[in-house]
Amino acid sequence: MLEPYFQWMNDLAVSKAIGESIWIYPLVQAIHLLFLALFAGSLLIVDLRLMGWGMREQPVAKVARDAWPWMIVGFVGLVVTGIPQLMQNAMREYFSEFFWIKMYVLPIALIYTLTVRRMVAMADESRVAPAMSKLTGFASILLWIGGVAVPSRLIGLFT
Amino acid sequence: MADLLKPLHDLFFWVSEMENSIALRESQFTWPLFEVVHVVFMCLFAGLIVMMDLRLLGIGNMQTPFTQLQKRLFPWQMIGMTGAAITGLVLVFGDPMRFYGNIFFWMKMLMMVIAAVNAMAFHYITYFSVDSWDNARVPPFGAKLAGALGVALWGFVIIAGRLIPYNWFQN
Repeated sequence: MLEPYFQWMNDLAVSKAIGESIWIYPLVQAIHLLFLALFAGSLLIVDLRLMGWGMREQPVAKVARDAWPWMIVGFVGLVVTGIPQLMQNAMREYFSEFFWIKMYVLPIALIYTLTVRRMVAMADESRVAPAMSKLTGFASILLWIGGVAVPSRLIGLFT
Repeated sequence: MADLLKPLHDLFFWVSEMENSIALRESQFTWPLFEVVHVVFMCLFAGLIVMMDLRLLGIGNMQTPFTQLQKRLFPWQMIGMTGAAITGLVLVFGDPMRFYGNIFFWMKMLMMVIAAVNAMAFHYITYFSVDSWDNARVPPFGAKLAGALGVALWGFVIIAGRLIPYNWFQN
């Protein structure tokens, strides 16, 4: 259904230019990884705390509020450096199962982070069952790392 | 220079001829598996290092005293580093000659050594006075310097690592 759009993206002059330059694409990939580290750090610092590990002396809400702006910076950076990679490889991505796994899990992870995870992290801790906190942190890691990051790396390895 | 590097070259070459090394680089799934796990451990390690460096720079995680953040994140950083180191060694073991002739691989190794020196210098110099700035809104120059260098050096490690497949300077 989306194939014509991917073909269109694939054939854009910009996409071709990215593909023809020997250094633009590798550099964009590298910067994508930098933002991944930032995003993963601001994600894990909160998820580990939710699971009862990491900075245990601090209330979850404090840790989450501090991490939030950096998570946004990381996410925006990932999207901005992700789009050119998609454009340059549009048809490869279209036929990659891992790309579609990523695209399906990404909105789920995003919605989950903005709703359930945010509510649990910001709630008064005495009113959240420890098991609930743990599960929230674990599900977040599973979605972002297992459902988004790992399939992303696999796109390039299995095409 | 060539003479100096000969033992290193011979070591890498000797490893590349080992049966397990050949099997690993010819494997369909084992090699990619280690690449993926390497990135996952990188997320844990570099991610939490960045969180600490932002705190040192005075621009992130400022509601937590530095000593607490350091103490609680350190074990996770070590898990990440150990995992990344082991998976990284396995990848080098699996294709030594590819890394031997690769400028980005050696740049990455060099940056890691400098990053380790930066961490040690911070630990033995600036960290000595941590009681006086643990809760300070603006960390002292030494802390900011260590944070900035940490972000820059580990950033270069990541960039150089990602560029290894693009060996533009191969001769």
